[in-house]
Amino acid sequence: METSRPVIVKRIPERLNMKQARKFQQEVRPFLQSDRPQLVFDLSQVRQIDAAGVDMLLTCMSEAMRRDGDLKLAALSPQAAIVLELTRTDRLFEIYDNSTDAVRSYSSFLPNMLKQFYHVPRHLQQSAAFAATAPVAAAHDDGDGSEDVAA
Amino acid sequence: MDVKAILLVGGHPNNSERIAGVPIALLDVLGEPVLQRVLDRISRLGITSTTVISETEDNSSFAVRNRLRPDIYWICTTSEDIWRAAEHQFNDYAQKGAELVLIARLGAFLDLDYEDFVQFHLDRGARVSVVTDEENFSYDCFLVSASRRNDAAHLLRNELRSTRGECQEFVFRGFANRLRNAGDLRALAMSAFAGDCSIRPSGEEIKPGVWASNTARVHRRARLLAPSFIGRHAKIRAAAVVTRGSVIEHHAIVDCGTVVENSSVLPHCYVGAGLDVSQSVVGLRQISSVPRNVSVEIQDERLIGVSPASAPLRTLNSALNLVGYFPKSLFAGFTRKAPAACEVGTIPEAVNTPSPALNAVPQNEEGRPHVSNFNPNFLTVRRYGNE
Repeated sequence: METSRPVIVKRIPERLNMKQARKFQQEVRPFLQSDRPQLVFDLSQVRQIDAAGVDMLLTCMSEAMRRDGDLKLAALSPQAAIVLELTRTDRLFEIYDNSTDAVRSYSSFLPNMLKQFYHVPRHLQQSAAFAATAPVAAAHDDGDGSEDVAA
Repeated sequence: MDVKAILLVGGHPNNSERIAGVPIALLDVLGEPVLQRVLDRISRLGITSTTVISETEDNSSFAVRNRLRPDIYWICTTSEDIWRAAEHQFNDYAQKGAELVLIARLGAFLDLDYEDFVQFHLDRGARVSVVTDEENFSYDCFLVSASRRNDAAHLLRNELRSTRGECQEFVFRGFANRLRNAGDLRALAMSAFAGDCSIRPSGEEIKPGVWASNTARVHRRARLLAPSFIGRHAKIRAAAVVTRGSVIEHHAIVDCGTVVENSSVLPHCYVGAGLDVSQSVVGLRQISSVPRNVSVEIQDERLIGVSPASAPLRTLNSALNLVGYFPKSLFAGFTRKAPAACEVGTIPEAVNTPSPALNAVPQNEEGRPHVSNFNPNFLTVRRYGNE
């Protein structure tokens, strides 16, 4: 499913301390406050990132998800990767090798509602509607993954 | 036989073999610095006098120096003067009647039997002997007859890279670790745990594979999994996990909930709460990742910090933290923004409620739903990792 909404790619500054994080957050706020924002943060230039920087990334992600959008990270520098691993936040983000891949990933982006269609509570699985749906779900799971549900 | 030793710490071109600017030879491995372990091996040879020439004059070298035997003579110099200082010391030993002088740059850690090396040198009647591996890689460990001052001068002026005359090669096939980077330091610790080298953890084995000093403080809810080592006065706080060959050196602090896996925490290092330290060497405000071979300077004290080396300062620090806790919490309480209204509480109810949308899924001719016709009444829940 192609989306017409733009994907915003922002490059994170080299040093992401408290001051820089605040400044950067103010820069991206207009994008985050749009409807279903689609953002990619490029961390290729990051050389130093502290807890405030990680906090800023999490805040941006929660802001984006609150509006049913998403924030993805791309081209992590080794320094950024180490700090994200250290703070256990790497598992919270979708991380891509480069910005292009991250932007492309939005082309099959759905607000996850259809994905939830296949995670129905057990008591609902006995309903006639779900029984009809289940084989379709299995067929999709065996294929390219959940992103392809809408394909 | 009168054998004396000159050990050089530093002096490597490109300023490598360091972690956060400190030579790896001065860093602790399982409770004792590499330098101390080399000195222990040398002392078995019956060496009458040892001089350590270090090119660093900082806290790390002072800390190591204070723990050495008083008869070890320590010279601090600059990187430019280290070779000249070594040459001067060699001449001094020669004048005092030494017969052989061992010149070693740390450098690599070798499980070398120095008696065998001396015997090899004497048997060959060599002027200069060097320890090499099977591929002719020099470990920068030389034995020079004290009467051969010119050979020694040539060797030291060329920074141990060439000899004036013929040099006998003592091929060493035992355990060796070149200690070039953080990965080598980790490998040395793992080799020690595995019993591959002569290094043994300096502490008591409190349970199989777990060594801890008597003065280490481990919270009852912290977990230590073998093999691991906890050094003197180290603190492992509640819910922390130390596992897979991790080494917590003396006076290091691992805060609540942090997992230290296959890593070394250097002395006086504070590792913040709730972190995941994996395959790294942490300390001196820096984290060095072994798989990535990258070091990152961490300036945020909440992540990686330094606990003061002096005991009164540490006590004062703890007291200040305790006194400042309540005012800080009050201030944070007043200034913190109210969290945005969260509707998490409604999610379980929504999950358990059959969605009318499910019953209204339009079906195609085969009786399957049209998934492309998206119905906005579906519940949206996103899951990431363990959340």
